Amino acid sequence: MLYLYVLAPILVGLLAYILRRNQSASFVLVLFQALDTLAVVGLFWQVRQTGTIVNNIGGWPDGMAITLYVDQLAAAMLLMTSILFLFFILFSYKQNYFTAQFFFLFMVLQGLLNGLFLTNDLFNIFVLLEVSTVTVSVLIMFNKEKQAIYDGMIYFFVNVIGSAFLLFGIGFIYKTFGLLDIRAIGQSMELVENSRAVIIPYALMFTTLSLKTAVMPLFSWLPKAHGTPSAPPVVSAFLSGLYIKIGVYLSIRFSDMFGSAIDMQNFFFVLGFFTSVIGFVLALSQKDIKLILAYHTVSQVGLIIVALNMDSEIAFWGGVYHIFNHALFKSALFLTAGLIYNVYGTRNVYEIRGVMRKMPLVGVATLFAILGITGAPFFNGSLSKYMIAHGTNSPVVAAMLNLINLGTITSFVKYSTMLFGRDTGKEANLDRYSQWSALGLGIMSLLTGVFGRQTIRLLFDYSLTVSQAEYFQKGVVYFVMIAAAVLLYRGPVKNSKLLNKAGAIEFTFNGTITAVALYLVGLLGCLLITV
Amino acid sequence: MEFITAETVSVLIFFIGLYGLMTQKNIIKTIMSLSIMESGVYLFFITTNLSENSTPPIGEGDPALFADPVPQALMITAIVIGIGVTAIGLTMFVHYKQKYGITNWTRKVADPSRTSDDERSAP
Repeated sequence: MLYLYVLAPILVGLLAYILRRNQSASFVLVLFQALDTLAVVGLFWQVRQTGTIVNNIGGWPDGMAITLYVDQLAAAMLLMTSILFLFFILFSYKQNYFTAQFFFLFMVLQGLLNGLFLTNDLFNIFVLLEVSTVTVSVLIMFNKEKQAIYDGMIYFFVNVIGSAFLLFGIGFIYKTFGLLDIRAIGQSMELVENSRAVIIPYALMFTTLSLKTAVMPLFSWLPKAHGTPSAPPVVSAFLSGLYIKIGVYLSIRFSDMFGSAIDMQNFFFVLGFFTSVIGFVLALSQKDIKLILAYHTVSQVGLIIVALNMDSEIAFWGGVYHIFNHALFKSALFLTAGLIYNVYGTRNVYEIRGVMRKMPLVGVATLFAILGITGAPFFNGSLSKYMIAHGTNSPVVAAMLNLINLGTITSFVKYSTMLFGRDTGKEANLDRYSQWSALGLGIMSLLTGVFGRQTIRLLFDYSLTVSQAEYFQKGVVYFVMIAAAVLLYRGPVKNSKLLNKAGAIEFTFNGTITAVALYLVGLLGCLLITV
Repeated sequence: MEFITAETVSVLIFFIGLYGLMTQKNIIKTIMSLSIMESGVYLFFITTNLSENSTPPIGEGDPALFADPVPQALMITAIVIGIGVTAIGLTMFVHYKQKYGITNWTRKVADPSRTSDDERSAP
């Protein structure tokens, strides 16, 4: 019955589309999201009790045809998706862009996302990625504004071209193995005598995934897509909170599949680190609040990639937990940024002041999310960063992680200046649903921090022991970092001409594609050296 | 060993398409290059593991000679997706061109005299 998780959101979206925009359509959507969350919790519980569930569609023997597959990781991802979609629908419930076209496409995306987390078939992944690219780009240009159409087109073409690499890679895999099922290929991979036989599909498929996760040379499409000025805030929140995680999730699955033949952990570790650094440097150079958040997604995804490729169990689960946490606080930040833009009529971080006074609920939600993302004590970010930092004994790596965190804190010191000070906006007229759903996400990032150990045990069946003394020490380090970040921000960062110049650099479309081609060549070169 | 096989040709077509995407600033040419790139992939798929004397897997025949139907089924789907993608890309392009008179990625207005006409005729 797993296919229902893919099919039901699309059918309900269609039903709501037929009902058009009126009370019943909104009611159906909210009701469905609540039921869906319950159903996913049920599925999650079942997976916890009985282990992985495999569902062969069409009744073929295992490994022959399309299979849907849920293990602990996939179930946790499904849970994340359904919880966030509940908040998203509540957020946009009363907004003026919540039209029939919008919520139909949005619900379709939920189905596609569930499909991507569940499916175990390579070609199916390609189809779902392609369809979701189309849907996302339509949502980006939903307001048909000039910049939005351009950004949507860049997003669309770059990602479609990226998927062509994936399809080509699948072709090579099929030629070698005659299989499309990820687990079956993983088993056959052990029989490959010469690992060089699979480096071409590896390079092609990971080029697509690196594009989807926006690692270093390939991130230039992401701020455009996630930070499009006129895109509805809930679309930006969806893209940064959930959709970017597809690439990370698939790279976990694909690394597993190639695991017995190719191991490129060092390569992705270094790449993740550079991505993270470049992400926060560019975030520091931006003035537009949505662009600050978008570049920050690059940085945080870099951190997740670092954690996943550290070759230690605690750091791996820390990375996975960070996927979950990042979904919570980054969605909260994008949703509040949308509300703030509505009230102040500007996205310039230097012109917005006094959010806390004008919109206390939104201000508190933003503050909670900021505390979460910077890793303040008792918030969820601190726990996942603690786990990631535990994955290494090397002082160099620890210093690298601290550098990433310092960059994060500095850019959020800049971001949080808009919370305080004298009020500059016009009269606030906000609906309750949006404010409370943004605040709900903020509160969740506090709750998953306070009850972090229980959450981790519940979600991933991994028992974490936190040493009180060390956690306290991390808390002290956090406050020292904040002081350093404020000094950094007041001093060199705020007035740096170099940073302003770095912020103005824009990759052209052709430049992006050239970067993709060069990345493919570079990855192949690294594979030839190491394998 | 024969050099011009379906595999080498398809890899060549794929990279010709990629070259077009890297160098062409015109959006229409981007869409064309994308189609070329995808047709390279289609060719690669349907000729994988294909032996010389195989028969189509339809109707009566010797099952041992049947060509592998899976890649062909996959490529039908991929071609349909490719058509959809091309159509959506063209729709976006036409919309962008008609509204703002821009036909390339550098966002320079292609023909100034023409667009000012468009603006005048627009309501």
